[in-house]
Amino acid sequence: MKNSAVTGIIFANFNDDLLKKLTTNRSMASVPFGARYRLIDFPLSNLVNAGVTKVGIVTKENYRSLMDHVGSGIYWDLDRKNGGLYLLPPYITGAKRYRGTVDALNGIRDYIKHSKSEYIVLCNADVLANVDISAAVKKHIKNEADITLVYAKGSLAEVPDETMILSLEDNNRVTEIGLDSKEGEVNFSIGITIIGRDLLLKIIDRAYDEELSSLNCDVIARGVKQFKIYGVLHDEYVAFMNGIDSYHTANMDLLKADVRSQVFNKKRPVFTKTRDDMPTRYGIDAKVTNCVIGDGCVINGTVKNCVLFRGVKVEKGAVVENSILMQETCVGKDAVLDYVIADKNACIGEGMTLKGTTENQFIVNKNQIV
Amino acid sequence: MKNKKCVAMLLAGGQGSRLGVLTSKIAKPAVPYGGKYRIIDFPLSNCTNSGIDTVGVLTQYKPLELNDYIGSGKPWDLDSSNGGVHILPPYQGLSGEGWYKGTANAIYQNLEFIERYNPEYVLILSGDHIYKMDYSKMIEEHEASGAACTIAVLEVSMEEATRFGIMNTDENDVIYEFEEKPANPKSNLASMGIYVFNWDKLKKYLTEDEKKENSSNDFGKDVIPAMLSNNELMRVYRFNDYWKDVGTVNSLWDANLDLLNPKLDLNLADKKWRIYSRNVGFPPQYVSENAVVENSLVTDGCEIYGKLDFSILFENVTVEEGAEVEYSLIMPGAVIKKGAKVRYSIIAENVIVEEGADIGGDPAFVGSDDWGITVVGDNLTVGKNAQIQANKMITEDVKEGEKI
Repeated sequence: MKNSAVTGIIFANFNDDLLKKLTTNRSMASVPFGARYRLIDFPLSNLVNAGVTKVGIVTKENYRSLMDHVGSGIYWDLDRKNGGLYLLPPYITGAKRYRGTVDALNGIRDYIKHSKSEYIVLCNADVLANVDISAAVKKHIKNEADITLVYAKGSLAEVPDETMILSLEDNNRVTEIGLDSKEGEVNFSIGITIIGRDLLLKIIDRAYDEELSSLNCDVIARGVKQFKIYGVLHDEYVAFMNGIDSYHTANMDLLKADVRSQVFNKKRPVFTKTRDDMPTRYGIDAKVTNCVIGDGCVINGTVKNCVLFRGVKVEKGAVVENSILMQETCVGKDAVLDYVIADKNACIGEGMTLKGTTENQFIVNKNQIV
Repeated sequence: MKNKKCVAMLLAGGQGSRLGVLTSKIAKPAVPYGGKYRIIDFPLSNCTNSGIDTVGVLTQYKPLELNDYIGSGKPWDLDSSNGGVHILPPYQGLSGEGWYKGTANAIYQNLEFIERYNPEYVLILSGDHIYKMDYSKMIEEHEASGAACTIAVLEVSMEEATRFGIMNTDENDVIYEFEEKPANPKSNLASMGIYVFNWDKLKKYLTEDEKKENSSNDFGKDVIPAMLSNNELMRVYRFNDYWKDVGTVNSLWDANLDLLNPKLDLNLADKKWRIYSRNVGFPPQYVSENAVVENSLVTDGCEIYGKLDFSILFENVTVEEGAEVEYSLIMPGAVIKKGAKVRYSIIAENVIVEEGADIGGDPAFVGSDDWGITVVGDNLTVGKNAQIQANKMITEDVKEGEKI
């Protein structure tokens, strides 16, 4: 597969409202995840690891933190003369409406047209998975498919509304796509769609003229007869950011060795912006068990079952459990935290006690001082 | 080329033979330090933080790893289209160019490189030391004093002074004499191997030095004395912060373990003076349910299931269940398997320490004459239940059960 054969497109604001408290000032794509990443690192790395050198990021709003994160694309090796990383914010002129993926794609019609790539891979930023996109594209070509949907198996409770539920033949041809609930184990699309460029352009034009809104719900889900749609199974860890609770669960899943080995597959590393922190320092009184930790932390307290992002400080006597502390969070002396999600730069004062529950985590906002 | 005020020349060609197996495949400046750095990150980051954007890196001994590490210079923000970092290996020419014969000759052979930028000043650095220094202050002082050359010095104890190049100065910090490793030192101002020269003076003296048949072409031995005997104004620049030579196994180990002292005056977490390094993108570190981690530095890609105390783990190190690591440096990619013990040791890159192996010794139990840091060379395997005493340098695989 030639590098230029595939262009990736990532929808950065996909399902922003499902993580409301974490997306007041940022897009879904730039929500911090897993001690040193932002959610977009996963689809971006998936594409880059498949040899894709041209990626457009479709944004709608709140994209400043995303721009700051991706920069020129250097950390994903996407600062290229040919291709590379494009941030595609909505144009003020011309865009009459912005309701869903159809309008978003229509807004970047020229980018797709001029991409010179035969195939387009569409990715949503709200799904966490390390996916072999190269293998999926090869299957797409071999099946001579019009559209290929990467899917996983699981219970419907894990996925957001309007996720495509697939019925498949033995050869993985999709025979039916439902958007409504079904019992038991289902096959659901994980937000990665492979489609020929010319077909995508045709679909966009028609759907835009017909004032349709969602590529998935209004076009693909209704097009099983019209298009040759295949599924490609991703038989490894997948998590949807289907609410704060599932965001917490997905972070905590990284404490499991098998999840780590799948999400951080050694053959397909996950890239992110470097921060040049020093290594994490464990002090004389540090008691750290079952934690995933980024660089630049200074830990002098007790930390158990947590995900600590880069630059977190936990002072002496503090006890932090079952929590997610984002970049530069400070936990003061003797503070007690349980089931807390602290956004960037939060500061929890000496002796404070913050307790959430398994289902209802206590959220500390960005820059908030408690 | 746009003229530059100052061009830095970083001498990175040395073997560092006293580091033994640690520099058998890489040049000393490429030796890992502090969990995620290489020694050369310090002078390179100091340049960037001091506003020096043009750096020539002179390589000679085993340059592959170093070239690869420096690459385009991007991690240090030195990938500039006007200036930036340039690797300068020895080369062939019509007039007898060839291997760098000494520090001065290395610069002499690259006078053309400096000429392209026609700077006012040239800063000479080495890739052997761990320190954070604002070179711009030194250059300012040099400029204000009108000296031909300014040499950075550190105050050491009189005993230590016998191991350094010593600058004897008058009350105005003007150098009147230079003594290499004096038996009876007159001063305690040790040269740090950091020089600022006026470009015209440097060119003149290097050209003259090259013509002298008996010259060893060394800054300390030849160029500085020649300038002094010509009555050039030469001054010292006093530096009072953390500075450590990492030329021997013990000093490398020492300088690393210094980082575990929270009161150390080498603050690597200072956001105003970052030490940059090339990061490869490993997942975050994981500390397991049964792990015990105290007084240690740990970085990305590490998985710890065992016990860690007073140690530094570089990227991608695994310490398995029941393994114990104390007072040691475990370099990138090494694996310490179940029940193995590593004490007072440096385990180089990608070493596998098999189950139950026991490496290194505690100075409290080993006689002080026999004690020393044990080093296991890169990519070696230490077999199951093998035992390696203190003060050993391991250069070949160690078999199962072997005692060394």
